[in-house]
Formats: sequence, C-alpha cells, structure tokens
Amino acid sequence: MSDPIKAQVVVLGSGPAGYSAAFRAADLGLDTVIIERFSSLGGVCLNVGCIPSKALLHVAKVIKDARTLSAHGVEFGEPQIDLAKVRAWKEKVIGQLTKGLGGMAKLRKCRIVNGYGKFTGPNTIAVEGEDGPVEVTFEHAIIAAGSKPIQLPFIPHDDPRIWDSTDALELRETPKRLLLMGGGIIGLEMGMVYQALGSTVEVVEMLDQVIPAADKDIIKNFTKATRDVYQYRLETKVTAVEAQPEGISVTFETKDGGTEVQQYDAVLVAIGRTPNGKLIDAEQAGVKVTDRGFIEVDKQLRTNVPHIHAVGDIIGQPMLAHKGVHEGHVAAEVIAGKKHFFDPKVIPSIAYTDPEVAWVGKTEEEAKAEGTDYEVSIFPWAASGRALASDCADGMTKLIWDKETKCVIGGAVVGSNAGELLGEIGLAIEMGCDAEDLALTIHAHPTLHESIGLAAELFEGSITDLPNPKAKN
Amino acid sequence: MAIEIHLPDIGADSADVTEILVNVGDAIEVDSPLISVEGDKAAMEVPSPKAGTVTEIKVAVGDSISTGTLVLMLDPAEGDAPAVEPESTAEEEKPAEPLIVAKEVALPDVGTDEVNVTDVHVAVGDEIEEEQPVISVEGDKAAMEVPSPYKGKVTEIKVATGDSVGTGTPLLVMEFTELPTAAKPSAPAAAPALGQAPTQQPVQQLQQSVAGPSGFVDNREYAHASPSVRRVAREFGVNLAKVRGSGRKGRILKEDVQNYVKEALRILETGGGGGDALGLLPWPEVDFDQFGDTEKQKLTKIKKLTGANLHRNWVRIPHVTQWDDVDVTDLEALRKKLNAAEAEKESGIKFTLLVFVMKAVAAALQQLPQMNSSLSSDEKNIVLKKYVNIGIAVDTPNGLVVPVVRDVHEKDCVALTHDLRELSGKARDGKLTKNDMTGGTFTISSLGGLGGTQFTPIINAPEVGILGLSRADKKPVWNGEAFEPRLMLPLSLSYDHRVIDGAEGVRFLNALREALDTVREELQA
Repeated sequence: MSDPIKAQVVVLGSGPAGYSAAFRAADLGLDTVIIERFSSLGGVCLNVGCIPSKALLHVAKVIKDARTLSAHGVEFGEPQIDLAKVRAWKEKVIGQLTKGLGGMAKLRKCRIVNGYGKFTGPNTIAVEGEDGPVEVTFEHAIIAAGSKPIQLPFIPHDDPRIWDSTDALELRETPKRLLLMGGGIIGLEMGMVYQALGSTVEVVEMLDQVIPAADKDIIKNFTKATRDVYQYRLETKVTAVEAQPEGISVTFETKDGGTEVQQYDAVLVAIGRTPNGKLIDAEQAGVKVTDRGFIEVDKQLRTNVPHIHAVGDIIGQPMLAHKGVHEGHVAAEVIAGKKHFFDPKVIPSIAYTDPEVAWVGKTEEEAKAEGTDYEVSIFPWAASGRALASDCADGMTKLIWDKETKCVIGGAVVGSNAGELLGEIGLAIEMGCDAEDLALTIHAHPTLHESIGLAAELFEGSITDLPNPKAKN
Repeated sequence: MAIEIHLPDIGADSADVTEILVNVGDAIEVDSPLISVEGDKAAMEVPSPKAGTVTEIKVAVGDSISTGTLVLMLDPAEGDAPAVEPESTAEEEKPAEPLIVAKEVALPDVGTDEVNVTDVHVAVGDEIEEEQPVISVEGDKAAMEVPSPYKGKVTEIKVATGDSVGTGTPLLVMEFTELPTAAKPSAPAAAPALGQAPTQQPVQQLQQSVAGPSGFVDNREYAHASPSVRRVAREFGVNLAKVRGSGRKGRILKEDVQNYVKEALRILETGGGGGDALGLLPWPEVDFDQFGDTEKQKLTKIKKLTGANLHRNWVRIPHVTQWDDVDVTDLEALRKKLNAAEAEKESGIKFTLLVFVMKAVAAALQQLPQMNSSLSSDEKNIVLKKYVNIGIAVDTPNGLVVPVVRDVHEKDCVALTHDLRELSGKARDGKLTKNDMTGGTFTISSLGGLGGTQFTPIINAPEVGILGLSRADKKPVWNGEAFEPRLMLPLSLSYDHRVIDGAEGVRFLNALREALDTVREELQA
C-alpha cells in the first residue's frame, strides 16, 4: 500500500458538484484532494451526460434545419453521415472540457487520486486504484458520488441492444427502430439525435404526457411540434422485454388493458437515475444513507456527521449539474468557516430537444395544488417577428404570477433557444421582480427574449403587440 | 528546586492581572501578596501559599488568567522545602501536593438552549473514570451523553431524569484528587473541526438528525430579498421577516440588513438586551476640549460592571422610593452604653447602628416576606426566600461592592458585628470572593457616615427591595405638648412596584420601626 495521503478536504467524485466543491475549497485555502474513479474529471455531466448529448443534439438540429430550409427554397440534398466522425467530434468536445478541468485542478494544487473510494472510518477513505490501494485521511469530506441510471429486474440489461444513456451516447450504430422507455428529458434528447441520424423512434410513457414535471399546455405544444420525430405511446406500460435473435421484443399494456408486442433494434431505458449512496460504504463513517440510497443533508449540506458534507445527485432531486455546482460551493464555503447556506428559490430545468422545453419556479400545476392565487400570461411566438423570421413561430412563453404581490413565481418556455431565455425568468424570481419590473425593462427587438417582457405586458394590461384582453373597452 | 505557584480558585472564570507585587529574587513569606487581579465582581490580591524566593514570574500586567494558571516559580525556603527526611512526614508534603477537592460538574455547551435529562447513569458513591458518561440528554436537535471531565467519586447528584437543563447547569459534585495543574475538562471532539464554531462542537454526538428531506424544497421564505441580501442576512443570522425593506416596492436591501444589525447592536450595547428598544435620541457627542482642559480617566472594571447592572436595574424595574424617619434616640443611647461596657470588658466589640438596623430589617422581612422575594423571569411568579441574607453596599477605592451577610435572621448582634467587620475588611482589601457576594435577598446601602438626608437607592436585581440609610440627625419632634429634640434616622426604601404595593412598602417601614424597638428592648434586657 502506498503512503497514506492527508488532506484537509477530500471530495469523493469529480462531477460538477464534486469539482466545484473541490476548486472552491482550494481557492479558500484548504488543502484539497479529489478522488475520481475514472481517468478524466467531470463525472457523468462532462463525459456521458450533458455535454456529449449537447454535441450530438447540435448535429441533429443542423440536420433538421437544413431539411427545413428546403421548404424555403434552399436544397442541400440528403445528408451523408459518417458516424465515426460524429463520434470524434463529440469526443473532441469532451476532451477539451475534461482537459480544461485537469488543468484547473493543477493550477489550484488540487491533488487527484484516481480510483474507487470507499469510506473506512469517520476520517479515512480507502481508494482502489490502478496503482494499488491507497488510504486518504481527511479532516472534512464532501461526498459527490453522483447517481446512475435505474435498471429494472425484468429487463435483460446485459444485452447490447438494451441501452442506457451512456450506451446511447457511444453512437455505435443507428438502429432502424429505437424504443425510448420513459418519456423523460434524457430519453427524448437521445431519441432526437437518433431520429436525425435516421432511426424511427418511439416513446413509451406510463403517464399521459412526456416530461411529466412540466405543464400540460407546454408539453402539448412540444408534442405537436415533435409529432414527426417521435411516435408516442402514452399511458402505456411495458410489461415484458425479451431479447430475441432478431430484435428486442417489448410487450405493451395500454390504459384500457389492451396488449401489443413490438420488436425493436434497440431499446433505450431512461426511466430515471438512482443515487450511489450505497456504493461508498458511507456507514463506515457514520453517514446515514436512506433506503433509496440518498444521503440527507441540512441547508449547509452537512450530513448527520458534522465534518462530512454531501452534494449533487446523491442528496436528492433534482439531479441537475447546476444544482450540484451551487451545492458544492456552499459546502466548501461552510467548511472554510463561512456562514453560507444553500438557499435558492428556484432551480431551472431544460430539455434540449428541438424545440427546447424549459421551465423554472412554480409550474401552473404546482401553483394550483398549493392554492396560490395565481394568474398565467402566455405570449405565443406566432406574434413575435423574430420567431416568425427564424421559422420557430410555434413556440410560446408562459409566465405565472402571484396575483397578490404581482411577482413572477414561475415561467416556462417551449421553442427554439427556450433554455437561453430561461435565465431572465430565474433572475426575476430570485430578485422578487413584479410584472412592472419585467414589463418596464426594455427588451431588444426583435429577439426571442422579448417574449418575456411581452408576457409581462400581457399580465399588466399594457400590451400592444397582441389584442389586449385587459383593455378598457 | 523551584515549585510552581498557580492561581487558586478565585470564584470567577477569569481575572485580569492588574499589578505584580513581587520581583524575581524577592524573598517572600507565606501569605505575602504576589499579584493583584481584578475579576468580574472583585479585585483581590493573591497570597503566596509558600515561603521562598521568587525565581521567575510567569504572568504580566493585563494578562487574563484563570484558576490554575501558572503565576510564578518559587524556590521554597529551607524550612518549607520538601521533606528531606523521607520518614518525617507523610505524603502531604510533596512539592506538588495532591489535594482532595470537590468540584461541581456542569453541563458543557450542548449547542442548544435547553435539553432534557433522559437518563442518569451514575449514583452517589460511584467511582467514575474521566470520559465516562454521567447523564444522557436530549434536545431539539440531538441526543447525547455527557461525559465526566474528571476521574473521581460522585458525592452528589443535582439533576434527575426529566429535568430541563442548559449549558452550565450543575449536574453533580465529584470528589477527586487533583494536582495543582487542574485537569482541563476536555470534550472529546468527534473530529478536528476546521471552520466550525466552537459552539457547534458537540460533546459526544450520537445522532444528529438533519431536517433536509431528499429533494429540493420550496423556498418562499423571502418574498422581497435578492440572493445576495439573503446571504448577508444568513451570515448575521437576521430573520428577514423582521426587517423592513426600504427599497423600491418594499424590497429589503443590503443596507436594510446592515442597519438592522447596527440597531440591534446598539440596543444590546446600551443595555436594552431584552430587546426592549427605548427609541431614545442618540447620546450627545461633545468635544469637551473646546471648552477647556480635560483629562480622561478609565473607569475601573468594577465600576463598568456595576454601571451596567445599575443601568439595567434602573431601566427594567419600576422603582418606588418611600422616605421616612425613625426615632433612634433611645437606641443610640443604648448603643453608646453597650459599647462603653464592651470597651471596659475589652471584648473588641463595637456595635454600630447598622447592625441594629440589619437585625430589625431581618425581622421585618420575615413579617413581610414579599420584600424578601424575587420575581421569576417570566414575571408570573415570585420566589419567597425562607432565609435572610442581607447585602451591604460598601464603598471601596475600586468602586462599589456588595458583600452579603448570611442568615441574618439567625444571628445576634455580636455575630453580625463580627461578620460585618470581616466582610468590610475583605472588601477594602480587595479580597472578596464571588461566594462573599452572592445569595443576597435584600440590600442595605448606608451613607450614614457621610451625610445627606434622603436618596433613591437602586434595587439590586433580582432582589425587590433596598433600604438606604442617611445620617441620623437631631430634629424637633412634637410630643403632644412641645417640640422635643430627637435623633431621627432617615430611611429611603426603594422597592420593585411589580411585586410590592405602595401600602406594603409603608407597612414594611412600620414593621421595621417596631422591629427596631424590639431590638432595643432585647438588648436592654
């Protein structure tokens, strides 16, 4: 066994939450060590998540845009796709980012220990690495060990045609028929990539809409815009999945009890992610892990063991990189003695499909359930010059208002670049902006983000770009 | 061989060294003063426990020291040196004398205000080890076991299962052998806690439950404060619900939080600690030098502390002061007669009027026990005390101190005279301990030796009454037929009007007058 490594702060996992925590800790003068089981930093997000999927979605979007353009007088012809080159482009993006992370770690004198780390006591982690085992002793630990895709017992996951998101990102082939099991963001994004590359893509979802967390009207808009991309099987359960030589045979059961069997060349199982809480021997350090594998923390990201913090997917929903990053910062700051708290009002969510679906703060569904006296204002992009000019006039911008305070409490956008528009709404909610603040802020014309100011004008009753329902006569 | 001289238990947590009274090389006797220290309540000189020559001084003026601090090194004088002949005396004469001491074990900082005792693990007579759990407590946030800071024998248990205790509550009394370097109560830290406030360091953390459910929870706590303002509020522990926003549309700005903290500090520092802002004008800032020469003099520590206490008591207690004169002509005549007799006997006893008044006050307090009570902090109950301990305000060069004469109701005038002489001597010499100054139930402030007619004494909280004595003077008193010169003692009784009604105040003075007569009759007999 190599000489033990000593650190003031050890961070277990180098995904966005982990590296953010580690870099912040180092910047605050703490001697910090990152334990990462893979050879490159960045975790799921950089290596097999957010970033590679965005690289592929970019490709898909350009293919689609090129096709759409034929309707407006510009013809490119059928695309010639070289999967190997697409893969290489994706790898290049990943490589650039992970290399950047490695460089930043070095700059900050953050030591990196490669290998699988497990707690052996309240102040020790044993790391099994390629160069043999090593013990890391620490004063403080930040657990950022992330999550992994959920697997179901009745699915033959070891068949190469049964994919999880990581498999899908490998881009080994373009299956003729691809089934997305689960109508969540990850599945829809990958489905969109494969559809653009030539697959026929079906989505099976138990509930009556895909992306169940978003509002119905938003998803209705999305479903309509993507009817040529996905074939939807809603309110349908998968009761059996069998690997057969000629394909994966899937049995569906619809709401009315009817069954149907279909065969696919590949099935992407994307039904959610489960935290890795039970895989790190947290109990050796006295850290409590719930039955479902989560680690509970307080508002300062402290676990039940005061000198051990936890951040990111492993502490709970939403499992989003940007949430983990902020948690990582707070955990490091708390360890450095700052009286900081993880205290946001809202965390944004985005599906990077085409059109994008993005929402932040309260959904209408939630406002209703909570009994908030709310009002909705929707600006349809059909009334936006920029949207029309950019051929994305089917989008919409929806704001949700507290009728009493006139403050914006939620917002959702579906359409091209919806995710980029979300920033303003998130900031408005955090700053406690009311309708007047948004309406009186001059938004550039013609832009898509103008739709936020116009939605506020709708609520205010000062809109002139649409018939004004609140006008006096 | 040099021995270490440590600061003995001075009854206070810490004290400042105000003067070093010896030099290296000085030959000193047992009990010669080594240093002067000033604590929260008293200034005192620390006497040497041994005779010898000072070889090294380990403290400096201005140092804050506490019980057990090494004060100086002493080369013991020959006669006092460690036993040369091994058989001559028993073990007691080792340089580092092991002492059997009794110490109270109090609840250490548990991080919360109040916890409940869920189990008592030891019994009187148990020999326990250091770190052995003595009780289990349970608070809002955590359950924990409280370990013993010492190894020793339990002689008394002061809490029972179900009791509600807080930091500092005495749990038990232990007897143990101690070397002069006092064993430091140590809390076993779960782990080095870098960046964690000491108060968050739990004693023995068994289980800390965390409130955080998995999943992002709604955060609608602050309607009108931006993230940066929320962060600043968190840092200062400000509840934003209590801050008035001065920004556009009532938004809370950073300045609002800053002003809130400033105001809170101002209230705290000006003594309105209970949160009762008086809303007064700011204190006038005057540059006195522009009107002539001035000199700045530091208030003594005692004066500063007395001032803070007096200010609190004056502001928080609704005072009523009742004045009266009592005829002490006969009592004074008797006092002179008695003192002449004592002088003849050369007993050393010299009665003062104050002693007679104390005796009479004790009788009056027993007759009207409300005056011998304290108001509970929630102002819902009064605590009547079955004992009478009278504090006597004594003017010393360092400031006002109030030593307490205990069980006045059980003592005769001779005993009281002895007690009073001893205490006022200690007070003047700065040798009062905390123990000498606590436990009072009523206070007497006598300015009789100096003059004046009447004044308004300030109640010494949590007592509810204080009697001021001014100088007894000959006054013409109508006896029904003519004015007669009588020796009248002016009394100024201040009482807490929340506890004592006006009628009761007068009744107390009447009772006191009658009690003085009784005292005289008893002394005459």
